[in-house]
Amino acid sequence: MTDISLEKEQKIADELERTFPNLTARVRRARRVMASLEKELIPSVLVHAKDNLGFHHLSHMSVVDWIEDEHFEMVYTLWNHEKRVQLTIKTMISRDNATMANIDTIWRQANTYQREMREMFGIEFPGFVGEKDFLLEDWDEMPPMRRDFDTMEYANKTYFSRPGREDAQDVRDTISKRNGEEVPDFAKKYSREK
Amino acid sequence: MAFFDIKGLVNPLSTLKQFGNKPHTVEYPKKHKETADRYRGLHFNDLEACIGCGNCSTICMNEAIDMIHLDNIEGSEGDSGLRPRVDNGRCCWCALCVEVCPTGSLNMTKQDIFISSDADAFLWTPGVSNPEGKDILSFTSDEKTSLSLFDRVPMPEMEGEERVKSFAETMLYYTEEAAREEASRCISCSLCTEVCPDHMHIPEYINAIARGEDEDSIRIIYDNNPLGEMCGKVCTRRCEDVCALQVRGDAVAIRWLKEYAMSRAETADILKEIVNPDIQPANGKKIGIVGGGPAGLTAGYYLALKGFDVTIFEANEYAGGMVMYGIPKYRLPMDSLNKQIDYMKSIGVKIQFNTKVGKDISFDDIYKNHDAVFVGVGFQKPYNIGIDGEEANGVIPAVSLLFDVNSGKTPDLGHKVVVIGGGNVAIDGARVSRRLGSEVVIMYRRRVEDMPADWEEIEGAEVEAVDIMPQTIPIEIISDENNKVTGIKYLKAEMKADAGGGRPRPVPIEGSEAIMEVSTVIGAIGQEADYSFLSDEYMNKIEINRGRMVVNDQQQTKDPKIFAGGDAVNRTADAISAIADGYRAVKAIEKWLMK
Amino acid sequence: MREKATTLYLGPQHPGITGNMMVKLKVEGDTIQSASTHVGYLHRGFEKLMERRNWLQSFTILCRICVPEPDPNEENFARAVESIEGREVPERAKWIRAMVLELARIGTYLLWFAGQSGSAGLYTMGQWSIGDRDYILDLFEELTGGRIYHMYIWPGGVRRDLPKGFKDKVLQTMDYLEKRLVQYDKLMFDNTIFQKRAKGIGWIDPAKAIEWGVVGAPLRAAGIASDVRKDDPYEIYDKLDFELGHATTSDVWGRSQVRRFEIEQSINMVRQIMDKMPEGEYYNRIPNPMKWEVPPGEAYVKTESARGEFGFYVVSDGSNKPRRVHVKGPAYVHAVTLLEDLLKGANISDVSFIMNSLGTCPPEIER
Repeated sequence: MTDISLEKEQKIADELERTFPNLTARVRRARRVMASLEKELIPSVLVHAKDNLGFHHLSHMSVVDWIEDEHFEMVYTLWNHEKRVQLTIKTMISRDNATMANIDTIWRQANTYQREMREMFGIEFPGFVGEKDFLLEDWDEMPPMRRDFDTMEYANKTYFSRPGREDAQDVRDTISKRNGEEVPDFAKKYSREK
Repeated sequence: MAFFDIKGLVNPLSTLKQFGNKPHTVEYPKKHKETADRYRGLHFNDLEACIGCGNCSTICMNEAIDMIHLDNIEGSEGDSGLRPRVDNGRCCWCALCVEVCPTGSLNMTKQDIFISSDADAFLWTPGVSNPEGKDILSFTSDEKTSLSLFDRVPMPEMEGEERVKSFAETMLYYTEEAAREEASRCISCSLCTEVCPDHMHIPEYINAIARGEDEDSIRIIYDNNPLGEMCGKVCTRRCEDVCALQVRGDAVAIRWLKEYAMSRAETADILKEIVNPDIQPANGKKIGIVGGGPAGLTAGYYLALKGFDVTIFEANEYAGGMVMYGIPKYRLPMDSLNKQIDYMKSIGVKIQFNTKVGKDISFDDIYKNHDAVFVGVGFQKPYNIGIDGEEANGVIPAVSLLFDVNSGKTPDLGHKVVVIGGGNVAIDGARVSRRLGSEVVIMYRRRVEDMPADWEEIEGAEVEAVDIMPQTIPIEIISDENNKVTGIKYLKAEMKADAGGGRPRPVPIEGSEAIMEVSTVIGAIGQEADYSFLSDEYMNKIEINRGRMVVNDQQQTKDPKIFAGGDAVNRTADAISAIADGYRAVKAIEKWLMK
Repeated sequence: MREKATTLYLGPQHPGITGNMMVKLKVEGDTIQSASTHVGYLHRGFEKLMERRNWLQSFTILCRICVPEPDPNEENFARAVESIEGREVPERAKWIRAMVLELARIGTYLLWFAGQSGSAGLYTMGQWSIGDRDYILDLFEELTGGRIYHMYIWPGGVRRDLPKGFKDKVLQTMDYLEKRLVQYDKLMFDNTIFQKRAKGIGWIDPAKAIEWGVVGAPLRAAGIASDVRKDDPYEIYDKLDFELGHATTSDVWGRSQVRRFEIEQSINMVRQIMDKMPEGEYYNRIPNPMKWEVPPGEAYVKTESARGEFGFYVVSDGSNKPRRVHVKGPAYVHAVTLLEDLLKGANISDVSFIMNSLGTCPPEIER
């Protein structure tokens, strides 16, 4: 059964907030603590969590593109084997000339994640050594995991479709044509997705 | 571990024992292992059951399914005429197409092997390419497993006992939450738009509701229907009969959703602000409209938007025609209708009330003083019941009763009312009579399931304790010495198959004659038009056939200056058809006058 | 004569490599001086694709992230969405999911038997265990309609209930596999050749294992009793009685022992599940899939796959499509930084042997 008491989680959150005044931490549920803070403090928080709080395992590192806000959200997920608590640490970095501290000196497997983030999102990690090509080869387009990279457009531009499907019809068009129904332009965004 | 580890050398040799065992493999291709009952093999589509809604094609993220025309399948009401074709080279056999197929026509089969060196051979039209597939259906969907949402969000209604105490609306209508949920059931196939006489943009306005954009929904409704709220409450909603979900479940509540959207605009001013129509500058052309019913109002509204100078001549105190005077207020409150009409007036539609054409103004005047005339006079004159004793006091046509009640009168119908007929007017007459304090019986010649009235209206009557007597044929109205109705004589009928292949006919049962004591008889057999306002000259110009004005597909009569629409023209005789007529006439009038 | 260093490209098409990837080796003689992992042959952009598919459409490509064991992907995604949305999952569905996951684990371990022994030259073992794995695939075919790609665990529960007579078939298969394990032991684990190849090879420093991101059987072989099913129980794993695999040596031999033990545990767990599974609903239906919007939120969920902690980071911005789905398979660490390290000083002939022992699965590195 899940623990009803969230004591150990709260302790971790409190300890983090005490140590880093600009950090906000909250307990999301049993075994889940989430902290967010400014980008500059990330390496020190990670080192502190690893060395002093027992979060030895880097479960995951991720980045989310919030293009509307012109931010990337960096997400570090740590696990404490002893206390069995997951700590998620998040920060926002500017999407423009995105840079983030290199942490592969703290966890060397972060090297792989950072290679991927550099390649797929265009985030630079100053001082970081790692082979340039990871999943892609000779790629000179926009980093493809950015939200503004249009996969469909790229596919249409790069590949061709096999002929034989030109007779495909749209149900909505077929029916409105048959009845002389004129769907006004402003309504079309509510028509069925094509 | 010693180097000569006996166990480690001998034990592996035990495998040699396996030589004597029966092999686990099957001898393919001599033997073919049969696939499991749920195997997701190649598709099969039941072409008869398929309605071409295209939901399979929409869900398929591999773009493996195209909707195409087939030679021997024509589109019809409730069927787009298209059928899915699967590119098996793109398919990933996830079978989501099966899960979202509303009719259950598309399924997977046990066929798991198909080999060809020709890439085009992988384009299959399931059902055409593999007719044998129907016998090896494998992964199928039923009502329980399907991802189609077959259950309608229930409509809150007033309790039956409360209802008959007043003329308050019986439907309590969807809340925002319920409307969003109901709207999100729609699969946007648009089969409904074909059946709607006015071809309203149904999937669009429903999806706008689903996305929380109620104002867009109103604007989409107003694109071709200026009486959306009225339709939201009382439309005959044939759209729902062809809803893709109705094949295996409940149709989307298209009518109630329209009501929901329109009710967001609480006043005419708000409505104007939301619709914010583009009104063209005056073009100097005058249009006269005879009759302020749905057809006339629709024509008037869109003509006014296009810059025409529009005057509607309305015989009564209020506009709306049959929907104002023929529909009980518990279904369509006066405020609701007046709000929609006030909005029309605010954008420039002029309405002359209490102006009966032929009495207060002559048709000739209108004809001569306008560049075009639209006639939307409807069917006002009730048919007689056609049985003995009909001239007695206490025999009232339903439309007259409704007119009186809607005009504010409260006629005394006595303790017991019998309503004759099975259409919406009959049900309206019955339910109004219940509200006037009488016991009510409906006599209908055929079975309940044959009644032309809306099923929700029939249910409403039942909830309000109206006694429906199906297969009952009235034969005589009995009255006392003062010519006051006292009873009705009737026969019970049995349904006999029609020799000509038509629907079963009621045949009176001999000796079943009985008399019921009643105080009022209400006839609801139907109505016809009253053309007494037209002089012989115009009667000759406009061709009238079997009581209906003859028009071309542009609503134009034989006199090119006269356009007509509504019940006096179309056979469907409902409000939405009248609106459609009005809308069509607008385009025609514009084309004719502005060429 | 002095030996000169040379570069050897192992893969991307190589029978000893589990999937399409390449290990670039700098060798002197047959001793590896340094190794680096090169991937990119399998990148299909699933994560990006999911951003333009709606939530339900996304579910169908997840399984393709791991061919031998697709189910943790499905389970993770479903649980992440459920967690963001707060969607209830019927109790029976949770038991069915655990059954699927354990069957998948058995199937994957059987495939691993083949890879591990095959890379040591014991081909008979591979023929047996892959043949036996087909009995698990038969069960999947019957349950889900697909042998490899099940597309069965989806948000809200599972897609279909157990078919009639399924329980008996599962139990029969478990009995059969249990008997086969004895024969596997004789052929593989008792085999002097296998023992000589496996012992002392691919040693992972237990003191560094956690920090290096080692998970799953390799971590347990390093003496650290860690398993997501125990540490952070999901579905109904807190209601099952099972032990974790353990070993005395943090090498290929130890990792093999862990897996050998756990296959037995999984057989036992499947039996418990079949015994305790409650009746009831198996699915809490989602809204109309084309209009299904998941409220804004995020979740990092993980399962214990046959290769270790398998994580999914899912973010919703409130729309009908995922904002971000980030998949982290164990091989992301095992087959890159860890493998590169373990190969230093190893013999060329041990490369695929070590790779197999780490559960290398290239598609989860690149997705």
